[in-house]
Amino acid sequence: MRRDIPLLITGIAGVVFIVQYFIPHFPFNRFSNWFSDWFSIVAACAIWLGALNLFKLSLEKIHARREGWGYAVITIVCFLLMTVVGFSEGRDYSKVGTGFDWLYNYVYSPLSSTMFAILAFFVASASYRAFRARNFEATLLLIAAFLVMLGRVPIGDLLSGFMPPGMRLSQLATWIMQFPNTAGQRAILIGISLGIVSSSLRLILGIERSYLGGD
Amino acid sequence: MLFRVAIAFACLFIIAGVAGQPAGDTALAVQQTIAPVTSLIATNHEYDNGTGIDLIWVPSIDDRLAPSRVTGYEVWRSVVGGSGSRIAELPAGANKFTDEQCSRESTYVYSVVAISVAGNAVSISTAPIQPAREWINLHRLNLLAIAFLVSAAVIYFIQSARSGKKLFVRKIAGLDAVDDAIGRATEMGRPILFIPGIQDMDDVQTIAAITILGRVSRVVADYDTKIKMPVSRSLVMTAARETIKASYMAAGRPDAYNDDMVSYVTDEQFGYVAAVDGIMVREKPATCFYLGAFFAESLILAETGNSVGAIQIAGTAMPAQIPFFVAACDFALIGEELFAASAYLSNEPKQLGSLKGQDVGKAVALVVIVVGTMAATIGSAWDVTFMNQLWSALKVVFQTN
Amino acid sequence: MESGLMHHVALWLAAFLTLGIFSFLYRDNTWYKVCEAIFVGISAGYWFVAYFWDNLYTKFWVGVWVTPMADRPDDWYVLYVGAALGILMLLRLVPKVGWISRWPLAFIVGATAGLYLVTYFASNVMLQIEDTVRPIFGAENDAPIYEIIGNIVVAVGTFTGLIYFFFSKEHRGAFGRAAKVGIFFLMITFGASFGYTVMSRMSLLIGRMDFLFSDWLKLIK
Repeated sequence: MRRDIPLLITGIAGVVFIVQYFIPHFPFNRFSNWFSDWFSIVAACAIWLGALNLFKLSLEKIHARREGWGYAVITIVCFLLMTVVGFSEGRDYSKVGTGFDWLYNYVYSPLSSTMFAILAFFVASASYRAFRARNFEATLLLIAAFLVMLGRVPIGDLLSGFMPPGMRLSQLATWIMQFPNTAGQRAILIGISLGIVSSSLRLILGIERSYLGGD
Repeated sequence: MLFRVAIAFACLFIIAGVAGQPAGDTALAVQQTIAPVTSLIATNHEYDNGTGIDLIWVPSIDDRLAPSRVTGYEVWRSVVGGSGSRIAELPAGANKFTDEQCSRESTYVYSVVAISVAGNAVSISTAPIQPAREWINLHRLNLLAIAFLVSAAVIYFIQSARSGKKLFVRKIAGLDAVDDAIGRATEMGRPILFIPGIQDMDDVQTIAAITILGRVSRVVADYDTKIKMPVSRSLVMTAARETIKASYMAAGRPDAYNDDMVSYVTDEQFGYVAAVDGIMVREKPATCFYLGAFFAESLILAETGNSVGAIQIAGTAMPAQIPFFVAACDFALIGEELFAASAYLSNEPKQLGSLKGQDVGKAVALVVIVVGTMAATIGSAWDVTFMNQLWSALKVVFQTN
Repeated sequence: MESGLMHHVALWLAAFLTLGIFSFLYRDNTWYKVCEAIFVGISAGYWFVAYFWDNLYTKFWVGVWVTPMADRPDDWYVLYVGAALGILMLLRLVPKVGWISRWPLAFIVGATAGLYLVTYFASNVMLQIEDTVRPIFGAENDAPIYEIIGNIVVAVGTFTGLIYFFFSKEHRGAFGRAAKVGIFFLMITFGASFGYTVMSRMSLLIGRMDFLFSDWLKLIK
């Protein structure tokens, strides 16, 4: 019962959302939009579960004085600060000049963009790792990466200036992106889509049911 | 005398007639220095819910002869029995428009006005038209047929495997390593970390990750290994808890399950990454799984995992992120392999049957690519009619709307 | 004056947080842990507020209550279905009936599976196959040599790449060799993608350095 009804719901929803793609008639033509609306409402309700979980784990840590409990205090204070400010601003919470906007610009945004920026260092260390790989596949990856990277910066054409026009690094990089890269991407995309067909059918037919938990 | 009076009367009549003409009409007569559009036809927009009407016309001759003379077109719509209004402004050269704001209860008449600096020219109005709606989108029948063929193959092989037919599935190194990777964590007394991407449950990659979690957590439960799963979406947290709980119950150890194995961090991409990085360097997991939809964070996670010496198994269908997983992880599941993983790990015949079914789709793709490329090349280079017809037929079969 | 002071506070705060995150590159440390805790708290709070105002209030509440009846779309009432699913999800907080939260989850999984099945099939399988089928020498038989080689590479690369993904056939003999060529193509693809991304990642770093040296320290004008 606890698994049969959800399995039935998954199956029916799956079939209906496949069929809607081929039926332009109301209500089928609206299903896709409705789903998007419904999902955003469900996600907005579900975030209460997530927030409560964050609170619960942090409070447990503080209560038990476990290692790093002080950071849990900071997390809770920051969470409360952002929510109190956000709710007190009303529906225009994110307008320029609000406290919420200030916190976004001077706390949230620098943290987010710096975390994104450290990726540059990780790209360098990953390149080094690929460089150390000693097999043919890794070498191919590295050569393609090197050519495309150089082809995208002015120094690439400077280095290959002795080559006839049309064979310089920038053109070679464009050629690699346009042809071998396209071939690989196509094989991957076709494979992914067939994988999705198969895995969606397993879900719709109820063969794959691990996500629904036990009885 | 009578003749003179008649002439004078006629002259007065003509003068009065000209003077009495509406000013607008006079202006139109004077300003109509460009030709109007011709052959304006309105037809029902096919395969919609009765909200669209297609218009097509031949642009003003002045637009074709001296492009700068016509600056654009206006589409006017009037409801029969109601007033008219301008519904679109289009650039010069335009020759079609779809009005998608119609109602099935109304009948419409359209006209197109050619605009120029010197003056405008109105076309003859269309015949009254009422939009209609259809039940089936016939333009998508080809997609329906091919998708049905592939789906039927998947279902056929699932049934075939159920009836006991032996199926071969090649080895997938990344998945064969799962047991060993979990065993390693058990031996080292360290946790395994499972990251299901940063998308929500409305992404099929996240769902694939959760189904793989079902298999992984079953081994974790059997081995009594510690699993840690920080997530960035609350719905994923709910689904992951159900999944892990089911695995522990199936392993006969429901008491060992704890909701805190899965914890919500934040929906923010890099906030989540900052926290996961922190967990990695502090708890030093022996094994990291990155399975699902990833974006720029893929490499930050994989490189941090590398720095703590974890065995890393990754898989994603995000084409831009696969290279980073390939470069930084011990095993990478490429695209389709992510969706095959759950079936492969389950080792259940009916699940494996579905993998054979999707291979039928690949076989169809291979045949079409070979035959189609040959037909297109031969047909185009040597003008072989049959080959050209074959190429055209394939294009029709595989076109999407 | 106050806004000037606030601006300075803001700059110093942003710089403190920026350097704190960068410090992780050296090693895990207290500064990073503080930044991480702030980041998690602030961003979780941000999304909590955003979900409430944008989804629950603007989409649902305004849709079913605030908007005058005459201005609502014909199908405004379906928003209640979303609310019902959301409430079912929240039943998870009630242990005895928590299992009902599987229903909205099952609905989301089913709908996603169905939607992805058809849309991906249309946009990736059909479209990609149609795009691959092209005359090698160009539509007018006048393609330059680099394009002819490129067209051959696309056809062969897509073909062998797909062979690599076959699950139900062992990669042996001619099939195995084709699969191997497929892997080579995939590796070139990955390399190209890797190389293409490197420069954009560098620009992100330059952006943060610009903030530190120009906006904060004012060393660069």
